Amino acid sequence: MTINISKGASLPIKEGIEKTILVFLKSLLEDKIFDGILIPMRVPAGDSYAWILVKDSLILDKANPLAPVMPVQGAKALKSLTRKGKGNLKFAAVMRPCEIRASVELAKLNQVHLENITLMSVDCPGALPLSDYTQNPQKGEERFKTLLSGENWGDDSTKPVCQVCDHFSLLPSADFHFGLLTGQAKTLLLIAGSQKGEQILSTHKLSASVSLADWKKRVDERTKNKKKQRADRFREVQKQVEGFDGLLQVFSSCIGCHNCQSACPICYCRQCYFDSEVSKLDLDFILQKAERRGSLSFPLDKRMFHVGRMSHMSLSCVSCGLCSDACPVSIPVAEVFSYVADQTQHTFEYKAGEDRDADLPIQQYRLDEIKGIEKWVRKAEEVES
Amino acid sequence: MAEKFIPRIVSFLCKWCSYSGADLAGTSRLKYPPSILPIRVMCSSRVNPVFVIKSFLGGSDGVLIGGCHPGDCHYQSGNYHTRRRFAILNKIFDSLGLEKERLQLSWISASEGQRFARVSDEFTQKIADMGANPAKQEIFL
Amino acid sequence: MDSCLKIKKSAEQGLSDFLKSLLEKNEVSGLFTLRKSGVNHDFDYGLITDTQMMKDAIPLHPFMPVNAAQELSRFTGMRKPIAVVIKPCELRAFVELVKRSQGNLEQFLIISYTCGGVFRFEATTAGKAEKQLPAYWKAVSSGKNSDDIRLTCRACEHFVPMHADITVSLIGEKIDQECSLFLHTEKAVKMAESFGEPLSECEMASKTIDELRVQRQAEKHHIFEKIESQKGLDGMIQLFGKCIGCHGCRHVCPICHCVLCDFESHLFDSETEIIESELNSKGALRLPPDTILFQLGRLSHMSFSCVGCGMCTEVCPAAIPVASIFMRTGEETAQLFDYLPGRDVEEAVPITVYKEKELSTLGE
Repeated sequence: MTINISKGASLPIKEGIEKTILVFLKSLLEDKIFDGILIPMRVPAGDSYAWILVKDSLILDKANPLAPVMPVQGAKALKSLTRKGKGNLKFAAVMRPCEIRASVELAKLNQVHLENITLMSVDCPGALPLSDYTQNPQKGEERFKTLLSGENWGDDSTKPVCQVCDHFSLLPSADFHFGLLTGQAKTLLLIAGSQKGEQILSTHKLSASVSLADWKKRVDERTKNKKKQRADRFREVQKQVEGFDGLLQVFSSCIGCHNCQSACPICYCRQCYFDSEVSKLDLDFILQKAERRGSLSFPLDKRMFHVGRMSHMSLSCVSCGLCSDACPVSIPVAEVFSYVADQTQHTFEYKAGEDRDADLPIQQYRLDEIKGIEKWVRKAEEVES
Repeated sequence: MAEKFIPRIVSFLCKWCSYSGADLAGTSRLKYPPSILPIRVMCSSRVNPVFVIKSFLGGSDGVLIGGCHPGDCHYQSGNYHTRRRFAILNKIFDSLGLEKERLQLSWISASEGQRFARVSDEFTQKIADMGANPAKQEIFL
Repeated sequence: MDSCLKIKKSAEQGLSDFLKSLLEKNEVSGLFTLRKSGVNHDFDYGLITDTQMMKDAIPLHPFMPVNAAQELSRFTGMRKPIAVVIKPCELRAFVELVKRSQGNLEQFLIISYTCGGVFRFEATTAGKAEKQLPAYWKAVSSGKNSDDIRLTCRACEHFVPMHADITVSLIGEKIDQECSLFLHTEKAVKMAESFGEPLSECEMASKTIDELRVQRQAEKHHIFEKIESQKGLDGMIQLFGKCIGCHGCRHVCPICHCVLCDFESHLFDSETEIIESELNSKGALRLPPDTILFQLGRLSHMSFSCVGCGMCTEVCPAAIPVASIFMRTGEETAQLFDYLPGRDVEEAVPITVYKEKELSTLGE
């Protein structure tokens, strides 16, 4: 972990982790440290969760800072609030680390204004696949409770990308963090990641006096395991996806609904390039193409859409997995995109959503960068000869 | 002491007929309830049904569309389209069990100041009897 | 009695042969039909111009990856007709699009069929489709509802094509022995004559068709009753509470052809201050906002043209029964004007026309 924070405050767990966090958040509202809190809440029908911006602390009782599912990416909720400006009120957003990262990426894309937002994250064990939960919400709740209460957060029930997530804890870009991996210590840790976070502690008369060493050790160990699992998993994904045949295979059942793009927090374009006039072919061209190959698949340009989407957003992909959740034909979109994103981000030594001050690689350039690009660029002399 | 409930009725009024009718009610010093919140549109057919739905979900206790009498539309046929759209929206509310009585379409001409006052009065009374729109308290919309 | 072409092969084989012949004899510039995509066990729609590629064609396979009407509206301009094999609801949707200047009927030789419904996506993703086929065809032959089809298919009473040039008769027929192509237009007769076999006069299995229709109407009634029990604003929130706002339903809907939907445009972007003010008066509100607004708004824009294809439910990540809800309300809004979407290309879309004397109780 690259954060230089060695101390935090501790909060005794009373009536479970979620209740403890809620009580703390309630006090932040009641003491007017924030005008509102953006947090997940179970919908009236009990079959899913929705983002609710809460001002009235009584309503906060029904919220859940760590919901079993993530039907809507928190960054999207934040975008609907602050896309047009920073507003006048101060809000805290309690989200999973991948949602914090996506929010930071969207801020770089001018889709979110973070000036009046305090980003609060929670140690995250992952989320359940949405379809599993909606099929049987009661079972989903139980499964998630079991997951959270286990000491090692056993996780074969979470989404595939969650199972290999190495960014499940405090990030440099978070303002405040709830550390849950405290072993059986019966406390949780309140960690300030920035000045905004430190203000919360000080206005609450909490001092960062508890050592984070134990917690860090647990987080580091889990991170190490996850990194290895991720590498293993991506080796498998590579075999699936590699080559033209791989590309054909992985997306063969795609129906071109673009749900993945709609659910993705990074894909903010009102009209996707691949839905626009630029991407539409007229009948002459369609027939020409069909005649050249003997037959043409409809809907058109399915792989074009996926590879194109990768080229547009992989630098900001945070592996939240909403694309796979949204896919009606169960294509492992998240795993494929995460696999590619890891590599494109690595090319620029860029880590999506981690550093608020690091510009998006496609928004800037350095004169001397991208080691190895010489392999792909033919020198002028070669071309002329 | 219970406060008297003054409904909030968002009213889309066409410039050529119903808005002028409302103006006439005003200049004639006719009394009508303060519940009417007028929004002037050039023609009642400017009203996208989604405006009505947005007002309703936004917590308006009632939504009124005022247009010219059929045959008198300044743009010939605008109000005929309004009438169809309203019928469809009304039917959708009916079909889903939403309170369709909170939506009303009224033909009010520029010279019908009294009619405007009466329609406002009656509609306000109807909405007051129904009570406040529960959508006001609804979080999960 | 209708003019028809009977081919002494199974329905699937006979139709494939007929299509192949059209292509070989240059009667059409291409064939648009379901085919094995060649990868995994997946299917897609294909535009075929080489008869050799017909080996992968499965024109009557009970699957709908997209509502074909959406794809057919891309075929702009006039060339030699393209023969298309589409389901009755896809045809109705296409007719609705033609009324909205989003398509051209003359561009095609439209072949449809009396439809036994399509499999749900979950079957094809789990590779179960092959196993379900025998029972499906048996159900079609005997005029019963297969267990494995979409809910909207079980409730569909418009399974006899309207506006087709050719109808392949499947319901109640011996589909493994005979292919009966009913020819409804001059274009169809001309194409059929090119096949080289004599035409005859035949009748559809109308008794079985009527029986299936009764079954389907009962099923529809049952589904609609369930939806009806979720009344009012509370009912809407129960039904759509888990909506994630992906708008997948509108993207796959053939009727929703708008390049930029109202609900994706700046029209419904909120200023931060407006949300803050709403927060102050309510105490809490859902973000992103306008979940229910989208559903009601979409109903107000297209419900009367809903053909009940069921793509919306299939694509919904939260498994909301969108199609059942839209079909039910859509039927009611269409009935206001005695309208049936897709019945007649000359029948104008209800919101685009008016009668001077109608709906006299409104406005007075």
